[in-house]
Amino acid sequence: MSLHVPWERHTLPNGLRVVLSPDPSTAVVGVNLWYGVGSRNERPGRTGFAHLFEHMMFQGSEHVPKNRHFELVERAGGSLNATTWFDRTNYFETLPSHHLELALYLESDRMGWMLPALTQDKLDNQRDVVKNEKRQRCDNQPYGDWDERVQAMVYPSSHPYHHTVIGSMADLDAATLGDVAEFFRTYYVPNNAVLSVAGDFAPERALDAVARWFGDIPAGAAIPPLPGQPDLAPRIGATVRDRVRADVPLPRVIVACRVPTVLDPGFHAVEVAGALLGSGRASRLYRTLVRERRVAKDVIAYVFPLVTGASMLLVWATGYPGADPAALEGALVEQLEALATVGEEEVARAVALTDTRFVRTLEQVAERADLLSMFTLLFDDPDRLNREMDRIRAVTPADVHAVAERWLGPDNRAVLAYEPAA
Amino acid sequence: MSALDRYHPPAPGAVRPFDFPPVETRPLEGGLPLRVARLPRLPVVATMLVIPAGEAVLDERHAGHAVLTATALEGGTLRRSGTDLAEALEGIGASLHASAGWDATTVSLTCLADRLEEAMALLAEVVLEPAFPEQEVARIREQQLARIKQREMDPGSLASDRAAELIYDAAAPYGRPAGGRVDSVSRFSTAHAAALAAERYKPMGGGLVVAGDVDVDEAAALARASFAGWQGGARDGRGISVEPRARHATVHVVDRPGAVQSEIRVGHPGTAMKHPDHHALSVMNTVLGGAFTSRLNLNLREKHGFTYGVRSRFSFRRDAGPFTVSAAVATDVTAAAVREIVAELTRMAAEGPTEEEVEAARDYIAGVFPLRLETTAQVAARIAEMIVYDLPDDHHARYRERIRAVSRADALAAARRHVRPDELTVVVVGAAAAIAGPLEELGIGPVTVHLRPG
Repeated sequence: MSLHVPWERHTLPNGLRVVLSPDPSTAVVGVNLWYGVGSRNERPGRTGFAHLFEHMMFQGSEHVPKNRHFELVERAGGSLNATTWFDRTNYFETLPSHHLELALYLESDRMGWMLPALTQDKLDNQRDVVKNEKRQRCDNQPYGDWDERVQAMVYPSSHPYHHTVIGSMADLDAATLGDVAEFFRTYYVPNNAVLSVAGDFAPERALDAVARWFGDIPAGAAIPPLPGQPDLAPRIGATVRDRVRADVPLPRVIVACRVPTVLDPGFHAVEVAGALLGSGRASRLYRTLVRERRVAKDVIAYVFPLVTGASMLLVWATGYPGADPAALEGALVEQLEALATVGEEEVARAVALTDTRFVRTLEQVAERADLLSMFTLLFDDPDRLNREMDRIRAVTPADVHAVAERWLGPDNRAVLAYEPAA
Repeated sequence: MSALDRYHPPAPGAVRPFDFPPVETRPLEGGLPLRVARLPRLPVVATMLVIPAGEAVLDERHAGHAVLTATALEGGTLRRSGTDLAEALEGIGASLHASAGWDATTVSLTCLADRLEEAMALLAEVVLEPAFPEQEVARIREQQLARIKQREMDPGSLASDRAAELIYDAAAPYGRPAGGRVDSVSRFSTAHAAALAAERYKPMGGGLVVAGDVDVDEAAALARASFAGWQGGARDGRGISVEPRARHATVHVVDRPGAVQSEIRVGHPGTAMKHPDHHALSVMNTVLGGAFTSRLNLNLREKHGFTYGVRSRFSFRRDAGPFTVSAAVATDVTAAAVREIVAELTRMAAEGPTEEEVEAARDYIAGVFPLRLETTAQVAARIAEMIVYDLPDDHHARYRERIRAVSRADALAAARRHVRPDELTVVVVGAAAAIAGPLEELGIGPVTVHLRPG
């Protein structure tokens, strides 16, 4: 099945890239902005700042007082949020389609006029909110430090992915209003952003509105190079281990490997490898570890789609009470290695499942807009949305064998093992 | 070009009308009602089979067995093993998910439209001919026991489970975890699964929902072919207790020594889905704690920075599910956060929302309605709700109109009837040494400190 999601692309004189994807079969509209900034851009001593900054973007702008942004969108029957990731920060609204221009107004005001509304009270308030987010997700959560430990093993301390998106409490405490202003001027510029609109709208009028609201925002300087040392050896070089006794209910082992970045043509084979390992109940990990051998209570396989140096493929298994972490590791590693002999039928099944999931993703205008922003920011090519599944379908068993041999071997593994404290 | 007025939001454009998609109903022989919404936007179909087999009517000894039986459906059928079943489904790109809630068991399936015939046959095979092999049942039992252990060590899950238990009387099913307790789960066997399915996996009182790129005649033909001969059954009998544990305010601390955060739950029994105050309550709760700009969130998060977020919620079920406020807050502000929560509930119960708040909440609820009906699975789930809760056919079609009709007086009356500050159960999972004293000083009610389980 081939996809024909329509799109058109424009660039404003200030460098803002705009992607419009009309769909008259719906009554809603999704607005999505990707800024090319994430935790990888944080300088030493300011981990967690990109995410704290994201919170500050909801604290009002010159023409929009605090809380007004949320009030206007909710009053219009819209939903909104933002997320911060290693390589980017995205902001999005979904609204009944007649409120499209409201989202453009709000997004443009904070892109152009955020700083005049900035106050110390707002920063202190959101610092407390973010510290509570960190407590809720990490510090007060069994296994809550897993990503910090895994990233520290997979990426050296000089690499921008060495630290987590949420950052450290000390660095959050250290953030100042000056940091906010500098970050804003450096990264929150139209030439570092993609704006996508998907759903029910007329492209010509939408483009007029985009130009009207965003056109006055001046372009910024070129984006500075990443801090630290972004270059990376393709493999970790050994099996590295971190063993933790902690207040966790069950033993859990996570194995992570460096794999090619999303920009690498080999990334699709990595995605298929991830699906073969962990997607669905016929997948390798579920079938063998959970169902047949009953050594794991649950399993996960996941590919982090990253841009700088190397992405990460990771698998994890949670054992039953008393399980030996070494046995869990052995079982996981066996399945990583077994991908080297995977057959045609199994690959076809993983592709079929991925196919259905991809089409279902496109049911939501917010997802369409997010994918269009991603493909435009990373590849300068919105049409990858329509061809993505063709790329996945083109992956052969031999490609998957090569993934296993090149990237999943003992010279490229970080192993994190949790054991319950007695 | 004239200067742009940035101080005022732009006027909205022309409203694009939106209605809940038309639902066509076809009775199938044997008694399984079929409801179809044709949504040709993308070539996908979501199917949900609703079976009148919920947890609420099970006795304490069998708590969790409806959940476990539904989960055990993945163990395979009389015709194929669990792995063969997974391969058959995933080979056509289909995903099957079976789960039980308080009021029903739901087996949902999504696939591309051109695979519906094979997928529907597999759905029927799973439900009509389950095998429940011993080894698979044992695995699912052990997984559930491990999950119970996980819930006890996850502060948020522990708080929710203990809150339910402390809100309701010991005889009320809603007071126990939906997935059962260690003793009732340990008891679960192939014989239990087979008996539960034989007795309760019946078409009467349930229904088959199909939403997506398929027309009603085609869906009916496929359903007839797959579910031929399936008959019998009845709706769950009701009459479960929803009595509270106490009619006065109580405070409970579940100790997690050294915890950096406290998980707070505050609530009491709420109302049933079909309560006439449903729409007024939805409006009132949106103002109280059901949206980002709710009173609770603006107070605890945006004013005080106590929490990443706080919500209030009426869990509408066939009988009166709980009304609960939930938040995770820093340890040193625990008592202050509880004080603010109770103050907001007290203010709401006394004064209700303002006219402006009611207007904003109505606009919000009516406005987000189409946003939550974008996908075939979302539409199927809404139609399935009509079966589970026995809602009138026009429930969704007239939902927004009924929301828009809620007045400030209605919302105030609902708040007075359904928010009862004098009967709150406050449950806090956190460091007792740091928080029990300050909670005592609030004077809400007697504070009991519980050891954490395990």
